[in-house]
Amino acid sequence: MAGRYVGERVLRLEDARLLTGRALFVDDLQLPGLLHVAFLRSDEAHARITRIDATAARSRPGVLAAYTATDLGDYWRPGPLLVPPPPIAGLVFHTATQVPLARDKVRHVGEPLAMVVAESRYLAEDALEDIVVELDPLPAVTDLEAALLEPASLVHEQFGSNLAAHVQQRKGDYAAARAAAHRVIARRFHYDRGAAAAIENRGVVAQWDARVEELTVWDTTQAPIPIRNGLAALLGLRESQVRVIAPFIGGGFGPKIMMYYPEEVLVPWAAMRLGRPVKWIEDRRENFYATTQERAQIHDAELAVSIDGKILGVRDKFLHDTGAYDPYGLTVPINTQCTLLGPYVVPHYDSEFTAVFTNKPIVTPVRGAGRQHGVFVMERLLDFAARELGIDRVEIRRRNYIQPDAFPYDHEILFQDFRPLVYDSGNYPAALEKAVELIGYDGFVKQEQPRLRREGRHVGLGIVSYIEGTGIGPYEGARVTVEPSGSVRLATGVGTQGQGHFTTFAQIVAEVLGVEVGCVQVSTGDTREFTWGTGTFASRGAVVAGSACHAAALKVREKILGLAAPLLGVPPAELVLEAGSVHVRDAPEQGMRLGELARKANPLRGAVTPGTEPGLEATAYFGPDRGNAASGVHAMLVEVDAETAAVRIKRYVVVHDCGTIINPMVVEAQVQGGVAHGIGNAFFEQLSFDENGQLMNASFMDYLLPTALDVPSVEMAHIETPSPLNPLGTKGVGEAGAIPTGAAFAQAIEDALAGSGVEITEIPLSPNRLFELLEAARGAP
Amino acid sequence: MKPAPFVYYCPASLEEALELLAEHEEAKPLAGGQSLIPAMNFRLAAPAALVDLNRIAALAGDTGMENGGLRLGAMTRHSTLEKSRLVAERAPLLAETMPFIAHPQIRSRGTVGGSLAHADPAAELPAVMVALQATLVLQSAKAERRMPAEQFFSGLFATALEPGELLTAIELPALPARAGCAFEELARRHGDYALVGVAAVLSLDSRGRCEQARIVLLSVGDGPTLAAGAAAALAGLEPSAEAIRGAAEHAAATDIDPPSDIHASAAYRRQLARVLTRRALIRAAELARTASGIAER
Amino acid sequence: MIVEGTYPLPGTPDVIWNLLMDPEVLVKAMPGTKELVRTAPDRYEGVMRIGIGPITAAEFELVILLTDMKEPHSYAMQIDGKGRAGFTRGTASVELSPDGAGSMMHYSADLQVGGKIAAVGQRLLDSVSKLMTRQGLEALNRELQSRLGGAAV
Repeated sequence: MAGRYVGERVLRLEDARLLTGRALFVDDLQLPGLLHVAFLRSDEAHARITRIDATAARSRPGVLAAYTATDLGDYWRPGPLLVPPPPIAGLVFHTATQVPLARDKVRHVGEPLAMVVAESRYLAEDALEDIVVELDPLPAVTDLEAALLEPASLVHEQFGSNLAAHVQQRKGDYAAARAAAHRVIARRFHYDRGAAAAIENRGVVAQWDARVEELTVWDTTQAPIPIRNGLAALLGLRESQVRVIAPFIGGGFGPKIMMYYPEEVLVPWAAMRLGRPVKWIEDRRENFYATTQERAQIHDAELAVSIDGKILGVRDKFLHDTGAYDPYGLTVPINTQCTLLGPYVVPHYDSEFTAVFTNKPIVTPVRGAGRQHGVFVMERLLDFAARELGIDRVEIRRRNYIQPDAFPYDHEILFQDFRPLVYDSGNYPAALEKAVELIGYDGFVKQEQPRLRREGRHVGLGIVSYIEGTGIGPYEGARVTVEPSGSVRLATGVGTQGQGHFTTFAQIVAEVLGVEVGCVQVSTGDTREFTWGTGTFASRGAVVAGSACHAAALKVREKILGLAAPLLGVPPAELVLEAGSVHVRDAPEQGMRLGELARKANPLRGAVTPGTEPGLEATAYFGPDRGNAASGVHAMLVEVDAETAAVRIKRYVVVHDCGTIINPMVVEAQVQGGVAHGIGNAFFEQLSFDENGQLMNASFMDYLLPTALDVPSVEMAHIETPSPLNPLGTKGVGEAGAIPTGAAFAQAIEDALAGSGVEITEIPLSPNRLFELLEAARGAP
Repeated sequence: MKPAPFVYYCPASLEEALELLAEHEEAKPLAGGQSLIPAMNFRLAAPAALVDLNRIAALAGDTGMENGGLRLGAMTRHSTLEKSRLVAERAPLLAETMPFIAHPQIRSRGTVGGSLAHADPAAELPAVMVALQATLVLQSAKAERRMPAEQFFSGLFATALEPGELLTAIELPALPARAGCAFEELARRHGDYALVGVAAVLSLDSRGRCEQARIVLLSVGDGPTLAAGAAAALAGLEPSAEAIRGAAEHAAATDIDPPSDIHASAAYRRQLARVLTRRALIRAAELARTASGIAER
Repeated sequence: MIVEGTYPLPGTPDVIWNLLMDPEVLVKAMPGTKELVRTAPDRYEGVMRIGIGPITAAEFELVILLTDMKEPHSYAMQIDGKGRAGFTRGTASVELSPDGAGSMMHYSADLQVGGKIAAVGQRLLDSVSKLMTRQGLEALNRELQSRLGGAAV
């Protein structure tokens, strides 16, 4: 579907407000009588709570309340399991979810011990120092292997081990494939933890209006509707008594889809008890512990290949760090398991993972959500195979691709949406050729690189391929209303954290209704406006909510035609919607403004034909049969200073396929932002926990985010293989930029340092680490 | 991250500021606040009172001295020095270093006096002042004294400042006639704390041999570290590539005992010291030769 | 975090041992210690305040347990310091051997540091621990010198 708006570079409608400071973020809220919250958080990673006494805090002037776990009474309970494990045979899963305030035991640094409510955040923080806490430290579980084999302690005693889950997915017969292989490439890979580090931290403001018995909660959540339903249940309210608003949010990237965070369930409870509005805004240091994070895994993987580099099978056994609790189920490691297969034909596959409890903050999806790890393992194994077999690294990928005529392609294992992993459409060879052309692969390998090497310069090229499963269900909904003014109101249940929904959804609806895109007012993230939906995650907003917007707009279009036809005296087929009017084709004067039609559709007196719905409004839902497969190729050029091990990225190319593109500028921005995230993952960001579970870099001084000077302008090209799974043909794009960057980086640096003997099997890297690897390869002590 | 309560004084003159500091032992002077305020927000610092120096106009500004040197008021903002033509003319090493200090936003508030008094081991200005043989002017309510920069930095975040004393000015001598300077630094990202930095001033005699080398490293120990061995290795020699390489090796292997942290191991710091010292000396030597009208052989 | 080294001290091991067991001497040897009381033959409790550079508000409640006492040669310590700015705990050992007219102290400590100072002060922990060790030993040395009537080593 393409035409006036879909596919066009429409300037974002929300930007004027955002850039002039007129957008509302949670911390902008100033309510009469507002109280402020500070949390006392554990300094220990693992300890028994032997004493906690908030009496002195309560008697400090300006403090209204200080709560510990015991003060919560019946309200204290572990959160729900948000994502149950998929129905995979033989799966083992131990449920252990987060609690509002630690009781008996703390299990990670930063776990909340007490909540203080005061007239200001300053006073609340002063009062934290009055709280007496005695913690009896226990050995911290931090090493994934030791946690299972020889644990010095158990994170959750009731399970008798630190095993959180065990899952095996198999296809074919790997052992046979291995036996028949010409070569088996085996390596151990490490991927380390990182944070999402959205520019806006989390925040919750809650207000209970006793007169109308309604609770309003402003929350930086990616899932306002589930939060509303959950809070209502927890607080003993009807769902209709709770309104959750996710206003403008400064970036989500995953951790804000984690639900029922301690602060999220406690702030509304306190507001109801104290009868005054309550605000909690997370500060940056808290964000490092209190908001979820991701990415630590250890893989022992092997690739069985034929003499001409064809993949016969892959076996991967990995450990996944799930942190102190596992409320989000197995989404991340299952993504790893599935995304490893990539765009390749893998006839035999044996993937087994063990999720491990550790005394570290909770792991839930962060942009990429486990896909990075799968891509890293597969791409690295292919690179090592290419080197051992003497095959060009682009050629080995070409030889293994699923071909464009092989869709739908069934990989025969289960994806995170509990459906079989079936790719709907794609053209991997075309993307590769385009990337090869853009980065100048042939010229670089044959002429430029040899010349640079003769000059003593170390420049390398990395080119990698990936699949991103997007657009999963269950469903989303939308309601479209033509208002008497002629304006169109669109409401949907998902929230927006910067993805451009105010524009892309407006484009979809404007196209169907023939109105100016600026006439479409979009409401997202307000449960008063729309009450059914699951949230913004897994690169599904455009696919699922966008398709719902499309479906609702189509229904309104039908109503318009149905109502206008008799009024204009022609059959509906002779009418067109254009420029905010409905008129007879080729006779614009024989028509009516949509606003006028909307008024006519809502008569104050008289009779209507029985069965008529008033107004020009419709609600529709969309739930895809399964997720679809976006894909792409990243290529980069890096230069390494052999003396200082400093790395500079010279060029970054992305060829991307997200099916039908609704707004190319939004897609390009998502890719550019994703690459920035990916570069951070690969070379700058690492949450350094020591063996006692202490985070050693809980500030941006030492947790390094790439800046505008570290991230190049991405050169982009698009391939479009529309998805047959939704009427727009679109696929998700939110995470694509971040997924293969680690693999591209590793290949590029190895290429730059070819001959040094350095092999890269870990992410992230840093100049310090590269120096270590170089020294080790040189045989230095 | 909100600070603990404190009393705030805002004196209008230097005399008033010094009196306040003499009277209130627990008070801390507030210059640009770029290091102090974050520490207070983290509640790692909790001074009972702050004496704000930002209204004292007499403490800011850079002026030329008759001897060809430069006098810098302690409250002169980094950004002022960065843009100053006087600094570019009379203290090119300082001009070259300024862009390495954090970011423009921080430089618009941070001051040269604040940076020197704070004495962060990764700070650039202490090393530059030691390299340039600056004299620091220290004042209290009772007295004034002057001290070479090299003696001012006494250890990790430690200076010779006595309680109640303020650093009020920095005096830079004129550069020798046949001198060249260079500054090198490597950080993870532009504006980050340096992993290692080197400030070098090389002056030649009339025969083109090294008369004096001041090589000062930062982020390799407790404070600005004078590479005395490296300087001695160059003394009296033509600063050839080989001589410079030898001096750099000295700096890395024996003049420093660098710490390890999560960004760089001691071994990696030594490597950076080796490479950056060499690069700084090569550039400084080139500039010194140009200043002397000597062509490289 | 491992801190270890050797340091020459005036006086024979016997003399030094006795002085090391005296809380008034130990207070001097631990810079920033506001008070230190011996609450049992093998236990010291006190309050210590760290003041290095920007960090001036880190106060710790300290408990030191002495173990493996082998008078006058060696002993071990279990150290536990807790405060709002974080905590430190671990073990340390001290060995005294004769060295000419004086003694050589071999010290070694393995300390865990946690909480706020570890989270935002990583860049400086190594240097700070070396500095505090050096300051402590120098202060101990001065205290021993003055108690021994200024006898030079």
